[in-house]
Amino acid sequence: MANVDIKELRKNYGALDVIKGINLSIREKEFTCFLGPSGCGKSTLLRMIAGLEDIDEGTLAIGNKVMNDVPAAKRNISMVFQSYALYPHMTVRQNMEFGLKLLKLPKEEIELRISETAQILQLTPYLDRLPKQLSGGQRQRVAIGRAIVKRPQVFLLDEPLSNLDAALRVSMRVELARLHEELDATMIYVTHDQIEAMTLADRVVVMRDGQIEQVGTPLELLHSPKNLFVAQFIGSPKINSFDVEVVGNHGTQVTVTGQAFSKPLTVEMANAANLSSGTRLTLCLRPHRLRNDTNLEHQITGTVQLIERLGSESLIHLDIGLPDPVISSSEGTAPVRRGDQISLRFSAQNCLLFDTQGAALPRKLPADAQALMGTDAQHVA
Amino acid sequence: MSPKNRITPYAFIAPYLIAFGCLWLIPIIYSFSMSFFNTRARPWKFDMLHNWGRLFEDALFLATLKNTFLIILVQVPFMLALAVIFAVFLNSKLLFLKGIYRFAIFAPIVVADAAYAVIFRLLFNDDFGFVNQLLNAVGIADIAWTGSSAGAIALISISLTWRWTGYNAVIILAGLQSIPKDIYEASELDGASRFTQFLYITLPNLKPVILLCLVLSTFGTLQLFTEPTLLTEGGPGVSTTTVAMYMYQQGFKSFNFGYGSAIAYFIVFIGLGLSLIQFKLLGSKSDA
Repeated sequence: MANVDIKELRKNYGALDVIKGINLSIREKEFTCFLGPSGCGKSTLLRMIAGLEDIDEGTLAIGNKVMNDVPAAKRNISMVFQSYALYPHMTVRQNMEFGLKLLKLPKEEIELRISETAQILQLTPYLDRLPKQLSGGQRQRVAIGRAIVKRPQVFLLDEPLSNLDAALRVSMRVELARLHEELDATMIYVTHDQIEAMTLADRVVVMRDGQIEQVGTPLELLHSPKNLFVAQFIGSPKINSFDVEVVGNHGTQVTVTGQAFSKPLTVEMANAANLSSGTRLTLCLRPHRLRNDTNLEHQITGTVQLIERLGSESLIHLDIGLPDPVISSSEGTAPVRRGDQISLRFSAQNCLLFDTQGAALPRKLPADAQALMGTDAQHVA
Repeated sequence: MSPKNRITPYAFIAPYLIAFGCLWLIPIIYSFSMSFFNTRARPWKFDMLHNWGRLFEDALFLATLKNTFLIILVQVPFMLALAVIFAVFLNSKLLFLKGIYRFAIFAPIVVADAAYAVIFRLLFNDDFGFVNQLLNAVGIADIAWTGSSAGAIALISISLTWRWTGYNAVIILAGLQSIPKDIYEASELDGASRFTQFLYITLPNLKPVILLCLVLSTFGTLQLFTEPTLLTEGGPGVSTTTVAMYMYQQGFKSFNFGYGSAIAYFIVFIGLGLSLIQFKLLGSKSDA
């Protein structure tokens, strides 16, 4: 297994810059997810690592060896494609052995690898079938099997679960996590589905417009987003955002007011913030932090506009007189109805603050987040 | 549904059905039945094996059958191999002005039979043709394009190839373009060279399309009439007389309609048989 080092990587198609100077170090045996909206360049970056796209500028090293001009076949990587890209005219066995035969491995070695891989992926009964005789999940497993048999330094996976139905996606996700554990391999996984990224990855690379917005563990991204984009992109439903104004600053305590709130609220910061009164900020609050708990000091009052009953949770859309409704994620049996006037409460400590450029102001993490992330993760990186 | 409503849909399709019946179905059945009649003298007499039995004893018919098969064997595989090469060439990412090349390769199909036959007769004239002059220029002796059996078969094969390669290349190009790009990328990562990709990815995936072209070309050549008629007039001797020409001679020159019909249906059955064999040999479960 190998590490992957990317320095100042750039790619353009004519006048269009799609990768704008990316720096990233992926550790050996790490499961890294590239996450971002469509068109952010995550697949292009993966294809550049694979050798399917040329590198215009910068360096790419796999296992400390510069790979810029090394052909795809010689990079010792395997890739799982979104569409599986199985050879339609070859059986499962032939699909898996094609690359091994080209590597001119001995027949016994090929047989051994295929039978081992088929066992791991429960494909043994299907080895002599053609791809079209398999279900979506089985095809996906063959695609993964074809990657595994080569025993590469790095696995690249390009949205491998996006063509599967919801139930299968969940089970394949678990299977992928198990595989990573078993193979102890460096894996780079591209997805636009944050649940996949958050559940599978050791570290997530959030991308936008060909640039990296933040690299961090799933919990870091959730609790300590570096900027407003990451805060709004990570987490479902989307984080609530409010315009606020600084009314007081006492070292590590910043007091703000906003149209949405009945009284000023004081947020504890990690460092003394240099904010004068009147500074405009954006305050963000995760939907699950808004709840019907009278012990919490602050409240938002509004009319229930819509309730999405998702089973274990209910998403309550609250009209508080602002253009966007406030969303709260409450328990599934929350006794509210459309049109009800309700108050939802929250703690100021769960609020995130961002300046007008969208950069996060380092806050002191709430106790529960601190416990999850370890004591050294006191604040925003 | 009222009786009127029940009739309406049939009324709509009636014009087609009447035209189909009069122009297709009745002639097909009538001509097939004709093959069981002795039509050499009036009144025609029913004789089950008169024409069909004669087919297998008629040396001239068997010679035309041999000629036709010879042209199929010489020309069709060569043309299809050339069509695959053209299609791969037209599909290349490195090729500029693809539209022009595609048109140039396809253009022969839109030229009238008679027009191109005249040009080919001039080009391949045994005495003063441009092709022989060209051969002479590089030190090769004249070829008797119309004066020898081999030359005449070659001339017809060359003209058929000129005319139909582009047509097949365009069909194969469509097949090429339908092969997903990502399986080429997957094979690139597997370490396949361009040539390996062509052998192990392109050709197997083109098999259904090549099979279609093979069946169409075989059927087309079984009906071959225009080129030998206009270029060699079936000669020298009967060395380029095809089954279709012989059918025409029997049916419309000798007015032996029964025998002509038997030959026509024999061509149909041979074509069906050959297609079945081709599907059996080349078709696989994946193409079914």
